[in-house]
Amino acid sequence: MRDAFSGTFRDTFKVSILPFSALIFGIFLLMLLVYFANSIQIFQKEGIEIYTTNKWIASEDPEKEFYGVLAAIYGSIYSSVIAVVIALPLSISFAVFVIDYAPSKLKEWFIIATDIMAGLPTIIYGIWGAFVLVPFLKDFVMYPIYNHLSFIPFFSFEPLSGYSFLSAGVLLGIMVTPFASSIIREAYRMIPFKYREAVFSIGATRYEATKILLSYIKPAIVAGVILAFGRAIGETVAVSLVVGNTFNIHPSLFAPGYTISSLIANQFGNAFIYEYMVSALFAAGLSLFFVGLAVNLLGMYILRRRVHE
Amino acid sequence: MNRLVKEKVFLISITVLSLLAILPLFHILFSVTVNGLPVLVKGGFGFLTGTLASPGDGLGGIGVAIVGTFVLVFLSSLIGLPIAVVAGIYAAEYPNSAIGRLTKTLLQIMLEFPTILVGLFVMQIIVVPMGNYSALAGALALAIVMMPYVAVSTEEAMKEIPFTYREAAFSLGLTRFKVVFRVLMGMARKGVLTGILIGMAKVAGETAPLLFSAGGASRVYFMGIDKPIGAIPLLIYNLVQQPYKNYHQIAWGAAFVLMLIFLAIFIPIRLKIKEVKI
Repeated sequence: MRDAFSGTFRDTFKVSILPFSALIFGIFLLMLLVYFANSIQIFQKEGIEIYTTNKWIASEDPEKEFYGVLAAIYGSIYSSVIAVVIALPLSISFAVFVIDYAPSKLKEWFIIATDIMAGLPTIIYGIWGAFVLVPFLKDFVMYPIYNHLSFIPFFSFEPLSGYSFLSAGVLLGIMVTPFASSIIREAYRMIPFKYREAVFSIGATRYEATKILLSYIKPAIVAGVILAFGRAIGETVAVSLVVGNTFNIHPSLFAPGYTISSLIANQFGNAFIYEYMVSALFAAGLSLFFVGLAVNLLGMYILRRRVHE
Repeated sequence: MNRLVKEKVFLISITVLSLLAILPLFHILFSVTVNGLPVLVKGGFGFLTGTLASPGDGLGGIGVAIVGTFVLVFLSSLIGLPIAVVAGIYAAEYPNSAIGRLTKTLLQIMLEFPTILVGLFVMQIIVVPMGNYSALAGALALAIVMMPYVAVSTEEAMKEIPFTYREAAFSLGLTRFKVVFRVLMGMARKGVLTGILIGMAKVAGETAPLLFSAGGASRVYFMGIDKPIGAIPLLIYNLVQQPYKNYHQIAWGAAFVLMLIFLAIFIPIRLKIKEVKI
């Protein structure tokens, strides 16, 4: 009797709070649906070429319209890879430094600083990037390298404006370092003390010990990199203020380009006057949707598998 | 000897790289203050309350954007918080059910989801049918961004409560409603509140979800929730892209104000608790 009684209560409780969870699922599924439904038009017109060509022909005449977002996909990946390459050494160093070597009084302040960095509105990175970082990189990094090494394809583009893949990548690298670092830091902190003891007891120097301990948390480092990449590729406003917003597929770090998110941010406002542009931008968004989904699931999977070990 | 040299190089490089990792923060705080504070001082109180100046015509004010940000944060909290808190409770109460696990995974994904995609989505389902940008659309976009932060921290706070309290509450013969909402929520309130404040601080600084939903306004303070509205991040984004010098100054001033709002919410929370999930 008592069991049946509490059983019904449990059910009413579950049933009455379930709609709230369902609502979040509903929003997410509706979002996916909206992206699919709006992309169909351009897929029917161009097929896969929307992702494989670099053309952007906006025209009053729907016959002449043609959209290919390859340059934006290229730019997104290029700038995010630069970001991760920059963030990786910084975040690993920071994690190790804060856990093992920072003076104990400063430790907490170092972590607070990175927490502030992780939460700081991205538009503040954006304005700093556009007015401070870009001119700095242009005058003190890009031109000196360009003047001496322009025969190397990576450095072959004259950085006239400074807005470039490099600027976007550096800014993104700065932005995702705290995030990657917090994932690595947590894993590094969790390493059982007996491993540290064991490593030092065989006479390892601190360098050797850190090397061994880091190899122990390799999955967390990989997950940190993957999640940081996901964060970088989805970032919009800060990137769009420094990347140059030009359809351009160029190997040089100093060339301006586009990213998927900045393409959407720049073009969507006036897309409705064209027949197919809205659909093309939704298709671009759809690719970002799947990259975001895949990257996060993968990162979470790696992290979670570690926990169960 | 070789090993000791390596050790020295290692220690020095790790210290330098760590300092390099947080150096940008100080440079950003410094730059925003140096460029923004004088604007605020020069513009005086009018800078916080006035409307946007014309190109090349002084500083005016960013009052419209400030009002807009507060309205948007308020409205998005109204929409997002109840859903997020209850969804977080669901994930905590039924951690082993399929829906509970899925909810948690989905929340984690949404936490990292590109926010521009949310803006585009809201444009298509609200702005296009309504025919114009609106505060409501902006608030909905921000609510979607805010929900995972609040839900995840609610879930984590609920999970931290020792099982014995739950047992004790049930043993009093309370219904599950009362156990969860009266007893457990009371105990988890600190964690939940932290999540709510972090979520609010986060959306107050969001730009991308607002690009195609709030629409922006710079001359009229508030026209109703079905009409366009401004926001500080949106204003900064638009002004930075303008060629006018006074607009760049206003953008710095607005960035300084936004930074103060963010730090005023974030630092007290961060100092009170040990870990923050951003």
